[in-house]
Amino acid sequence: MAKFGRYLLAPVLGALMATTAMAQSAMTDVGTPRNETLIVQNFDGKAANPDQQNPLNAYAIWRGFRELGWSYLWEDDTATGKSYPELADGMPEALNPEHTKFRVKIRPGVYWSDGVEFTTDDIVYTLATSFKYKDKLTNVAGITSYIKPDSWKAIDKYTFEVETQKPAYDFATVMGVYSWASPFIPVPKHVFEKQADVTTFKNDNPVTLGPYTVKAFDPNGFWQVWQLRDDWKRSGWGNLGTPAPKYVLYKDFGAEETRTLAFVKNQYDEDTFMSPDSIQAAQAKNPAIQTFSPTMPFNDMNDACSYGVYINQQKAPFDKPEVRWALALSLDLQTIGITAVNGQFKAAALPLSDTPITNPLFYQPLLGFLKDLKLSDGYQPFNADFGQQLVDKLKDQGVDASVLPTGAEVQKGYGAGWWKYDPAESEKLLNSVGIKKGSDGFYTMPDGSPWSIEFVIPSDWNKVMQRVGFSIADSWKKAGFNVSARQVDNGEFGTVQNTNSKFTLMVNWANTCVYNSNFLNSWRVFNPDNVKPVDSNDPLNGNLLRVTDKGIFDLVADATKRETTSPEFLADGQKIASALVTGMAEINLMNIPTTIPTNSYYWTGYPKADNFYAAPYTWWSSFKKTIVTIKPTGKQ
Amino acid sequence: MGVLQYVAKRVGLYLAVLFIGLTITFFLPRLLPTNPIDAYISQLQSRANGQLTAEAIIQLRTNLEELYGLKGNLFSQYLGYLNRVIFHLDFGPSFTYYPTPVSSMILTALPWTLGLLLIATLIAWVLGNLVGVVAGYFHTKRAATVLEVVGILLYPIPYYILAVSVILLLAYVIPIFPLSPTFPVGPLTPALVGSIVYNSTLPALTLVLAGFGWNILSMKALAVATTEEPYVTFARLKGTSNWTRMVRYVFRNAMLPQVTALALSLGTVFNGALLTEILFSYPGVGLLMRTAASSGDYDVLYGAITLSIVAVATAGLVIDLIYPLLDPRIRHR
Repeated sequence: MAKFGRYLLAPVLGALMATTAMAQSAMTDVGTPRNETLIVQNFDGKAANPDQQNPLNAYAIWRGFRELGWSYLWEDDTATGKSYPELADGMPEALNPEHTKFRVKIRPGVYWSDGVEFTTDDIVYTLATSFKYKDKLTNVAGITSYIKPDSWKAIDKYTFEVETQKPAYDFATVMGVYSWASPFIPVPKHVFEKQADVTTFKNDNPVTLGPYTVKAFDPNGFWQVWQLRDDWKRSGWGNLGTPAPKYVLYKDFGAEETRTLAFVKNQYDEDTFMSPDSIQAAQAKNPAIQTFSPTMPFNDMNDACSYGVYINQQKAPFDKPEVRWALALSLDLQTIGITAVNGQFKAAALPLSDTPITNPLFYQPLLGFLKDLKLSDGYQPFNADFGQQLVDKLKDQGVDASVLPTGAEVQKGYGAGWWKYDPAESEKLLNSVGIKKGSDGFYTMPDGSPWSIEFVIPSDWNKVMQRVGFSIADSWKKAGFNVSARQVDNGEFGTVQNTNSKFTLMVNWANTCVYNSNFLNSWRVFNPDNVKPVDSNDPLNGNLLRVTDKGIFDLVADATKRETTSPEFLADGQKIASALVTGMAEINLMNIPTTIPTNSYYWTGYPKADNFYAAPYTWWSSFKKTIVTIKPTGKQ
Repeated sequence: MGVLQYVAKRVGLYLAVLFIGLTITFFLPRLLPTNPIDAYISQLQSRANGQLTAEAIIQLRTNLEELYGLKGNLFSQYLGYLNRVIFHLDFGPSFTYYPTPVSSMILTALPWTLGLLLIATLIAWVLGNLVGVVAGYFHTKRAATVLEVVGILLYPIPYYILAVSVILLLAYVIPIFPLSPTFPVGPLTPALVGSIVYNSTLPALTLVLAGFGWNILSMKALAVATTEEPYVTFARLKGTSNWTRMVRYVFRNAMLPQVTALALSLGTVFNGALLTEILFSYPGVGLLMRTAASSGDYDVLYGAITLSIVAVATAGLVIDLIYPLLDPRIRHR
């Protein structure tokens, strides 16, 4: 028995001793020195296909490939919204007035991680392979629907020409990055052409263009560690600066409970969407944990997208602007924001986020429009004092005045204003279209029948939207709308948003993603091809707002023929935003609050409100800027 | 009834259960309000900055239907499914992670699920039943009541609370175990095995504690009832020792329902332990099924649910076949 006991205890004791030894030498769980390793929480938790690393197919996209492994022709400076060349040597040159032919030069002296030079052969091979196997490769549709078939040719090792199917003024943000991703990822010809079947080639431990290579990955999908290339200077973005961490570990630290505990113990450095409550608890235990901003709202508000209530404008009675406005004016957004996100949000009245990039392009030029806007009965719905009122309310509720913004910071923190909370005006608008309150206090349809409204919100796969959704439903219910919030999983969420017959109202973000002047990224989908009958079961191809306004379609069509940075193009975007607001096509609520707490025990210099050199997300390619900007603290 | 007839009847029932199970498995995911193709096209549209035109999407939809095996009417898909699953044990590719085969995803997750759940279930069963029989046999003694209290205290604690408490205690306050495991990669060496055991201890401990309480209470109740049986009284009057009566007369007779419960529990371990996998970042079939259900990945669901059906049905068959060996009353009927 004693002998058996020894056998049983040996591996346990061995493991314990090994752990103790690891702790003493401050190594990570994957065997890299902790002070040389930047550790980030996985955006998606666990990857189900960690060994699938071929970017021509659906691959383990959230494991750092986009940020550290791949490289693009053009990148997006997320602090300014402007494109800059990465693999390319300058911006693309349009070769015809129609903007369908382009010449691109690439930088000489860029090498793949196996020492082979990156040339236009790789570009041509990637394009040709994408088209050749477009029926079998699952991540090439973005390119094969944009580039004209067989239109590419390499002029020399560093120059190629290519044509697009339609006039393209956004060549740099389609063939390169727009905010977070690009549909065009060059692959190494010398590796791929040797494969018997590129459509099933996994490409695990890939040859990379970025300055890092995969050191190891968990076949179960919980972690992946990257190592800096010795020759990083000649990598795709070796000219951006010196990458500080020798290793970058992506790991899932589990449910928020265990993540918070691990964060407190300095086991990792950057999180994704941690709830404000958990951040507050963690900060109380560990002063190295920081929010994006030291004052409220503490979160980063610079995501490309905004949350809003999407309305099926084709379905009666929501086809009437009076009804849509009535819904907007029945929302007490201050209470909703305090209840759902502890008052940590930035209101956005236009159908796009209000960020340092979009504010001068859309919000400031349209502030006069918002203030002067009148509804059909002459009512002026805009409340420019929304931010200050919210600050006052938070103060009344006992929030420490030292963490609340003052003066001009109020507008920066809480936005330029939002709609008035005015249930009386809401009732007046509804009455004008025959909708009146019944004896039970709820509004009825014009024919007197009960009016029950289904409001679809995410279940716990998006806790912020879920909480916002419940608070919205509560606000509407108090105003007399018989609304029921239905939580759905993310798969059903997509089905509802895409199917007219299943959709009435929902919280969403997908059609309000405008990061810079190029609003077409989000609003290109507003065209007559993307309108289906109200009872259709066929999926929509975009246009989730169910826009049917010909005026907006014309503006979109006009914009596709203009330079995306020209004043005329921007004017089209401002007119579209104005038209969407006038008809209340979508009740835009707030910028997506992304908490992104960081831990400065091992590394400092993360993107923050007062040091905004890049978007703070570890799952965008803006992470490149973080990698070359952060500094080690020297702690062991 | 002859032995052969008995076995043939049980095997026939087993095959019928499998067939019905497979059929339900095929149709059930299709009732999900989720379309895997739309879900994937939405992702692509986002990556392509909304560039995909209506024509491009129609073409893409056709391609994906072809690749995913969703062409044709439902009945022809059903026949194809039965053919693939029954004759080739092929569940096709994952939709969400095409072209990764479902079998490889399940085979990656399954050893982790089995390793954790089989061991935890067996330990909880053995310990719980041992404590339960002592508590039941000596139910008039104060010490036995103390043992029962352990079960009463553990059983009603929600698993989530139990797991978080164990994490707080043994990974945060007294940091013996990791807050989240990191399973290393490489060849199977003693060090790797040690690391896997070390990283799996905390989730296993919570599962044992969660299952332990039910086994104590269940066995205790059975043991108390059995102790009152005339044959136990007769054995006592014959002068047998407490040990003999407890083990040979009470435990052996009270064990039958517990064996059934164990067999069914072992069958259900193939479902994985979702909450454990989420809380402890533990790889397993549970997370795989959850992701597949939320994204409408029918093939992965087919694979995982079929496995589970086969396991539970097989467990039932094994119980049916070994019961006569355990219970003479069935053997002689």
